Amino acid sequence: MNTQIEQALEILKSGNRQDAERALETLQGVVYGFGLKVCGSHEDAQDTAQETLIRLARQLREFPDARALSVWLYKVAKTQCLMSRRKSKFAPAQMLSLDALMPKDSVLSPAGTKTWQITPEEIVLNQELRGRLEDAILALPKHYRLVLILRDMEQLDTREVAEVMGISEETMKMRLHRARVFVRNALAGYVQHLREGRSKSHA
Amino acid sequence: MRSLVMFSISGKEEAKAMPDRRCKHIFAMLSNYLNAELPLKNCRELERHLKGCEPCIAYLESLRKTVEACRRYQVRKIPAPSKKVREALWFALQ
Repeated sequence: MNTQIEQALEILKSGNRQDAERALETLQGVVYGFGLKVCGSHEDAQDTAQETLIRLARQLREFPDARALSVWLYKVAKTQCLMSRRKSKFAPAQMLSLDALMPKDSVLSPAGTKTWQITPEEIVLNQELRGRLEDAILALPKHYRLVLILRDMEQLDTREVAEVMGISEETMKMRLHRARVFVRNALAGYVQHLREGRSKSHA
Repeated sequence: MRSLVMFSISGKEEAKAMPDRRCKHIFAMLSNYLNAELPLKNCRELERHLKGCEPCIAYLESLRKTVEACRRYQVRKIPAPSKKVREALWFALQ
């Protein structure tokens, strides 16, 4: 679990008002950010943050430790996101088939899978790639999207994601792999296009 | 995890096996490998396969970069907590 979240929750649980403002801003950032990644809308993210943090304030003293409280926080935020007013944003709760996601033979040839000559920083900093990453994540069916966001963006561990989602670790791992492959494949076309553009400009 | 059909066959037989079948089997393990959550025997099998399979190495690398991009992604603008949230919290802290 993110230590920043646990520290913020510890501060709030201790009742230290002096540091509470900073702790609240940290948690606002976490829950709003999570809501935005899941819902794709600022309005829904703000609603998620507000409802989740109000419930947190009421439950603050009920939990024995910050770790249990942070898992609870994500559970509540997840439920709020699923109840968001823009439900149509969610793709149908379909199953992603690994066979369907597996690259075709032509793509799995050495020529088709040249190493991505793009850095993770570029994916995040390049505005268009950033948009494509966001679109790919939003195109995932909700249960795959939530798992990917919790594991790869919020950086919870496997056990914590399974706990938040109420599923087994094996199911969580299966969904995570399919979600990653889906996003990777969605980015691949644009990465290829970028690489070709660079080759031409260097020619 | 699927049964390890490929694990029991010798190197020569493995080389003769259809590449797409072996790649498909390996493909299902890649995320667990990146998470360092693959059982040791599967890990060895995967690494042995990767030594001779350029497309799988490249695919693994692209998957690793995708995961890394997700990890580095940050929401840029975060609004301040609402008045209702502040009130609920200050009330709880009293």
